[in-house]
Amino acid sequence: MKIKNSQKLPGLFIKIFLLGGLNAFALWSVPVLIADGRFLYAAYIAISTLILDYIFLSSKFVAAKYIVPGAILLVAFQIYPAIYTGYIAFTNFSVGHEMNKQSAIDSIISNSLEPVGDDSILPMRLAKTPEGSTVLLIKESDGNLYLGNAQSLKKLPPNSWSVDAEGNIQSVEGFTFLTDEEIALVLEQYSNYFVPGLEENVKYRVADFTNVERITPTLQYNSAGDYVENLLTGEIYKPNKEGAFVGADGVELEPGWTARIGLKNLERVIGDERYRTPLVKVMIWTFVYPFLVVMLTFFLGLFLALTINHPKIKPKKLYRILLIVPYAMPGVLSILTWKGMLNESYGIVNKLLPGAVPWLSDPWWAKVAVVLVQVWAGTPYMFLIATGAIQALSTEIVEASEVDGASPRQVFWNIKLPLVVIALTPLLIASYAYNFSNFGSIYLLTGGGPVMYDSGGVAGHTDILISYTYNLAFTAGKGRDYGLASAVSFINFLIVAVISIQAFRRSKQMENIN
Amino acid sequence: MSTELIVRQKKMTFQKWVRVLAWRHFIALLAIAFALFPLIWMASASFDELGKINTQSLIPQYPGLSNYRALWENPDQPYWLWMRNSVMIASINAVLQLAIGATAAYALSRFRYRGRKTTLMTILIVQMFPQLLAVTAFYVILADLRESIPFMDFGSPIALLIIFAGGALGINAWMLKGFFDSIPSEIDESAKIDGASHGQIYVRIILPLALPMLAVVALLSFIGTMNEFLLTAVILGGNQEAITLAVGMRQFIETDFQENWGAFAAGALIATIPVMVLFIWLQKFVVSGLTAGSLKG
Repeated sequence: MKIKNSQKLPGLFIKIFLLGGLNAFALWSVPVLIADGRFLYAAYIAISTLILDYIFLSSKFVAAKYIVPGAILLVAFQIYPAIYTGYIAFTNFSVGHEMNKQSAIDSIISNSLEPVGDDSILPMRLAKTPEGSTVLLIKESDGNLYLGNAQSLKKLPPNSWSVDAEGNIQSVEGFTFLTDEEIALVLEQYSNYFVPGLEENVKYRVADFTNVERITPTLQYNSAGDYVENLLTGEIYKPNKEGAFVGADGVELEPGWTARIGLKNLERVIGDERYRTPLVKVMIWTFVYPFLVVMLTFFLGLFLALTINHPKIKPKKLYRILLIVPYAMPGVLSILTWKGMLNESYGIVNKLLPGAVPWLSDPWWAKVAVVLVQVWAGTPYMFLIATGAIQALSTEIVEASEVDGASPRQVFWNIKLPLVVIALTPLLIASYAYNFSNFGSIYLLTGGGPVMYDSGGVAGHTDILISYTYNLAFTAGKGRDYGLASAVSFINFLIVAVISIQAFRRSKQMENIN
Repeated sequence: MSTELIVRQKKMTFQKWVRVLAWRHFIALLAIAFALFPLIWMASASFDELGKINTQSLIPQYPGLSNYRALWENPDQPYWLWMRNSVMIASINAVLQLAIGATAAYALSRFRYRGRKTTLMTILIVQMFPQLLAVTAFYVILADLRESIPFMDFGSPIALLIIFAGGALGINAWMLKGFFDSIPSEIDESAKIDGASHGQIYVRIILPLALPMLAVVALLSFIGTMNEFLLTAVILGGNQEAITLAVGMRQFIETDFQENWGAFAAGALIATIPVMVLFIWLQKFVVSGLTAGSLKG
């Protein structure tokens, strides 16, 4: 097999193209990230790019060329998020505590802005200077016209401009006004734009197309003393450990910032009745649910495999194909179909049964429902792997025991079954770990419900840890507490780790490493 | 089928047939009925012009295609937009997963370098952690990055794809490595003697030989993405233009389960059939892929 060197050319082009793209992205994104203060991300992109350049431009690191690109993504989007989850668990990141301290201070100050004077709304035009930069032309109540931008305010000579009868600015020498269409395009940029005023602490902000508002903050941050002062009443707000400025009367300024609060989230989970009671129930169900599912699916699957795997069953192949249909159906859609079939008043399942079973509203029946649906969805997999294991059984052992005089019954119970179970144990543990955080199977069918009333509506009777986490973090109106959610998520991580290490030890996968 | 069996197997008496085989057929048929029922029910609902849960019967009273027409006409349910989003995201993701997973698997299978064992151990451990457990972290990371990098924002399919790509070096690489190991290394060694580079051996020898396995990994990853709900909902959920079939169908059916039942069933059936045919067609490879490395003992 001769391969000419010229055939390396397309590969070289792809390499240059991809590396070029990567470097262009790095050159653009790193300065942006640094400017926004996201140093960790900037450093990661910069270092990754340098490593990839080095590896691909040298001919030394052959194996690294194949592994490092995936590894860089793995670290960024699998390992780092896992560690970061642990970090968020030690913060109070939640609605109202989403930003860092500096952004929170900026936000507090700009929320406290109040108009100054009776005539605080002033005529203004957005205009372009001859150099092409956009500025604000503001007519102050002192009768002068000022040229302002984010940095400074400058008086314009009185004879260089004119106003109409209503006092609106009509024309200014050397400036072209922006048309309404142009203003509409740029107006959003001025939502957080301030022009320094004539006095200290006074600013202008764009109110609409042709007006500014003269404003001043009522709160001021004192960086030396690290407190916020109300300029009108003189009240002092000091930072507390939970990431908020608090006054002497206990009033908190909003928003707060994300603060490291140590083990507070875990303490809440363990110590606070409102979280502990549901969490204990959720935790128990998180262990019981996958156990039931794995046991039932495994025994049903094994039983079916043994039943059908008889030499005289002829339509074996057809049976097998029909039996794995649930496994081939997209899970989200089949679970939603089951939800309709289990509908209490109209669903087909209740029509077929003599009584109306409250599948989704009774705590116990809802548990039966989620297990039933997962048994339906998971048995084909167990059936497939059990069939594989039975067919892979060494015939020598079976024959040897038959020669030794064992009855077919004995061969089955004492030889075949134990061998199959041992061979499948790692897959069973893996399946347990999978169902341990099988979000869709719970959330799409019952939404975790019916609601546990003593949980303040956050937890439901069929919730497992991951769906409880989702409720804590993302269900609007129920708190949106990412810190607490991460603490629960982290507990979930730890349990999955323990289960996985067990599976890992028992499996033969270690052998593949050599 | 069963009478035929008796004729052919003359030695077997009727009593013996009942005792040994009849119950097996009975159980198999019972299990098949249970397995197929939701699919049949879904199909029946999709052809029922009334389109409601409460009036549905197994054989539709007013059979017709109005539910299928609704998939094109109902603006509240832009089914084909969701389908397009899903297929786009799932296809691109399958390609990315395959590209990253297979290249890494090639190196792990063929090169002996320092740190190889560590890499394998890391991959083996990391692949056990589903990415969705870190869903809050992904939310925070995107909330952090969205202002600096426009495509790393909520509602951006690119952000979702990049996050999924982070998991590519897990299970896929592991599964493919097992398969690459089974390709005799004499083949690539003789190619090396003929002057082939490592890149040429990979592209022109290993990849073609591993084609069935690559197809399985691509298929499993495609189905997995079509079915992924949690991360997709959190990352794309706010952007109605970008949501996938899984998120869209859930949203659609949640708003009015009773009224939208028929249209839901029609959409679900269209999405189910192709995946199912592909899966059953490739089932032999799928099974060997799923159990690779575990059934050896």
